[in-house]
Amino acid sequence: MLLLVWTPKAWHRLFLLKPPALLWTPGGEALHMRYRLMSRQGPGEASRQSQPQGPGFRTRLLITALFGAGLGGAWLVARAEKEQRRQQQRTEALRQAAVGQGDFSLLDHRGQARCKADFRGQWVLMYFGFTHCPDICPDELEKLVQVVQKLEAEPGLPPVQPIFITVDPARDTVAAMARYVQDFHPRLLGLTGSAEQVAQVSRSYRVYYSAGPKDEDQDYIVDHSIAIYLLSPDGLFTDYYGRAKSAQQIADSVRRHMAAFRSVLH
Amino acid sequence: MAAPSMKERQACWGAWDEYWKCLDENTEDASQCKKLRSSFESSCPQQWIKYFDKRRDYLKFKEKFEAGQFQPSKTTAKS
Repeated sequence: MLLLVWTPKAWHRLFLLKPPALLWTPGGEALHMRYRLMSRQGPGEASRQSQPQGPGFRTRLLITALFGAGLGGAWLVARAEKEQRRQQQRTEALRQAAVGQGDFSLLDHRGQARCKADFRGQWVLMYFGFTHCPDICPDELEKLVQVVQKLEAEPGLPPVQPIFITVDPARDTVAAMARYVQDFHPRLLGLTGSAEQVAQVSRSYRVYYSAGPKDEDQDYIVDHSIAIYLLSPDGLFTDYYGRAKSAQQIADSVRRHMAAFRSVLH
Repeated sequence: MAAPSMKERQACWGAWDEYWKCLDENTEDASQCKKLRSSFESSCPQQWIKYFDKRRDYLKFKEKFEAGQFQPSKTTAKS
């Protein structure tokens, strides 16, 4: 829009600037004639010309539109490149953070032993929390499930495995996990284990957790870091999403990672 | 003690929302919200009530602080 507004003025300026140079070039006469044809400002020209002078409004509009489209296109390309560069830099930075290296050994909510290799070939979205959690864990799990549902609804995308890992192994037994995960998604997998196993997987993903003081009912709240982790089909930590990210933002990011994914395993 | 089920969580959150709404409407005067307070207490685990109460204290403090109305007490300022 801006282009259209200032263009008429620019045209005039362009026409005012060119003539002297054109006049002195060999064959300047022809050019000069053209200039006269195109100029609107030559004194007395209007009376001698029956044809409307200068490029018609439509021509100007067309040229302006083409110029604008070119600029717009260039801007879009530049923006896409910048976004791609940004994602590459982030991927590289996250790789160097070496989060989630090594294996884990846990029990799923059906009592089956699970390690990281079991999820190879699948995209995984993972959240750490505890079943007695008042509000944040259920909210975040709800969000995680929404992301999975959004991606499931798109044909052609690989399935995503949602996982919930407890940071409260003392209370979150296999049975407690089974009861908890069924409320969220039929494929949500709850993982628990011994205190050491949970400590090991949490350390590996840089998840902090600390149980608060117990009340008369022996109830307590576990303070813990809140993030949803994305693992690629190679089992590598690929990205993470904090509380401020919406389900839509996470789904968009996962989709981008899926499009950019090249396996490094054979 | 088993964790609250989805149904119990939703009942608790409903009572919690109503109690906080009452506090909002009565400018934090809890004596105006006794009924909703007792329904809140009977719908949620005790630990959660403590957690939500602390959270409200914090949010109110934050609100005040951000509005520039918070005055540190003199004893705090000296120490």
